[in-house]
Amino acid sequence: MSTDSATTGLVRRAAVRAGQPPRSATRRNATKRRKLAFALPAGVFLLVFSFFPLAQLARMSVSDVSARTLNQPWTFVGGENFAASAAQGSLFPAFGNTIIFVLVVTVVGLIGGLAAAILLSANSWLSAFVLGLMVFIWALPPVVNGSVWKFLLGDAGLINSVITGVGLSQQAVPFLYDDRFALLSVAVVNSWAVVPFNALVFRAGILGIPAETFEAARIDGANRWQEIWHMIIPAVRPTTLVLAVLTVVYAFRSFDFIFVMTYGGPGVATSTLPFLSYLQAFVRFDFGMGAATAIISVLLVLVLAVIYARSVRAEEKS
Amino acid sequence: MSAMNTAPAPSTAAARPDAPRPRRTRRRFEPVAGSLRVVLLLIYAIPILFIVLTSLKDRGDVISSQSSFLFTPTLDAYTAALSNQGLFVALQQSLTIAAGTTALTLLIAIPAGYGLARVDSRITTIGLGLLIVLQMVPQTANVIPLYQIFGAWGLLNQNIGVIIADTALLVPFAILLLRPFFRAVPEALEEAASIDGATVMRTFWSIMLPIARNGVATTGTLVFLLSWGEFLYAVNFFLSPGNYPLSALLAQQVSAFGIDWPGLMALGVITSVPILILFSFTYRLLREGLTLGAVK
Repeated sequence: MSTDSATTGLVRRAAVRAGQPPRSATRRNATKRRKLAFALPAGVFLLVFSFFPLAQLARMSVSDVSARTLNQPWTFVGGENFAASAAQGSLFPAFGNTIIFVLVVTVVGLIGGLAAAILLSANSWLSAFVLGLMVFIWALPPVVNGSVWKFLLGDAGLINSVITGVGLSQQAVPFLYDDRFALLSVAVVNSWAVVPFNALVFRAGILGIPAETFEAARIDGANRWQEIWHMIIPAVRPTTLVLAVLTVVYAFRSFDFIFVMTYGGPGVATSTLPFLSYLQAFVRFDFGMGAATAIISVLLVLVLAVIYARSVRAEEKS
Repeated sequence: MSAMNTAPAPSTAAARPDAPRPRRTRRRFEPVAGSLRVVLLLIYAIPILFIVLTSLKDRGDVISSQSSFLFTPTLDAYTAALSNQGLFVALQQSLTIAAGTTALTLLIAIPAGYGLARVDSRITTIGLGLLIVLQMVPQTANVIPLYQIFGAWGLLNQNIGVIIADTALLVPFAILLLRPFFRAVPEALEEAASIDGATVMRTFWSIMLPIARNGVATTGTLVFLLSWGEFLYAVNFFLSPGNYPLSALLAQQVSAFGIDWPGLMALGVITSVPILILFSFTYRLLREGLTLGAVK
């Protein structure tokens, strides 16, 4: 039935068009344009609950706002919040932490994701089971995953039992409360959490390679490593670009794992820029300073968004 | 471990009836790949195993050795959790917030995803760019001003406040995920319907929505999962832990000193069971839908 009406519709449409092409075309465009009205509720909602808050954040970042003056008129202080935040000595370390954190999560997340995708693109019950398990873990609340890793990385936890048991170290490694290890530990756990998603996307790219390509390579005597290097990696390159930006954004926004595992500590060792803004606003109740730090991260996001838009456009062209 | 090498032998790679397409068998690579697959399994299975194991331990067992596999299982942590009235309130809060957020997000994002899929103009490009930016903004940059704004508007300490904040957080993601599903529907179908006299609303409702239902189901599932796990808004907008959903309760307990691990893990299991149920129904959908949304 639906095909019937579709064909008759098309025939009628063609007849109308033949009669008066220009007017019909403009009308068609206008009808189409009217469909933008469907986006109106979302536009209004986001204007009130996303863009207005961001404007408020910008205003807050140049004002003196404490818990007491939060709902009173704010006094304008210009760049004072930024200066005070830098003078406290946590802003620049947080900046450095953010870069290290994003780098580790992106590199481990992408390489781990690709490796997992290659391993799991074979058609076996084990691959199917592991993929299902990984996606389930990805779907679990980060607070659950963060809790269990905090447990496993504790002094008497599994990881330390293995390390001391094997004899790699005499004492337990202070994964989460030592300056040298804490940031890396949280970053690696974050990568662990993002690998399932990346693997799923990479896997779709690998399954998209025609089977004949692999057969041809095999006839030519290519081994599996050559297949990975010369066929799989070139095939997933455009996906990698988009996925890299998504992973960078994911790492940059990361909040849940830091909150659960280290709460930004020890000291400021695991405070990234977004986390520092939270601490400044909701722990030290200096909302102006927290807003200033948050504005810096929003500006960084704008840079990332431009890169993302370009990489998507590049992929659509290819 | 070496005994496991032969586990996924090529013979198991025979095409299953439900496989999406015929796949090639892999021979020479299998021994290495097989053991690596088992490593991958361990990396993801052990944490899950430990959540469950620890939740079945006695408090004393955990103090003596956290990593032992041999112990007398006890349901003490669960009985303690379930005898606490607060748990049911938290479960109810989680359900209300996640269901409310999913409904409100879909209500707003479905029409928007359709509109932005059908019109190619400068406004669309700008709109999509803004959505991408919003999706990238760290949540902490939203929670700071929203706390003040909700305070002024009397939305603090109310479910609707958290639902609105979660919706604002997830609408950009939902629109960007839904748009390709609507774009995949041929425009000729719609034109035919409109020539046959169907209004734009009717076309949308009885042609577009049924065809794009997979996209709607995928998006709805993901929004539910994400709002179920969200705790930053809940922790800050609810003024007392009595109103916390499960995720916020967990976040509060795990960052406290002197953690009661069996109790915490039991709470983790209770928080995860609804996710497991939802996941077992929607896994296939997620596996296909996620990749579409991420790449387009």
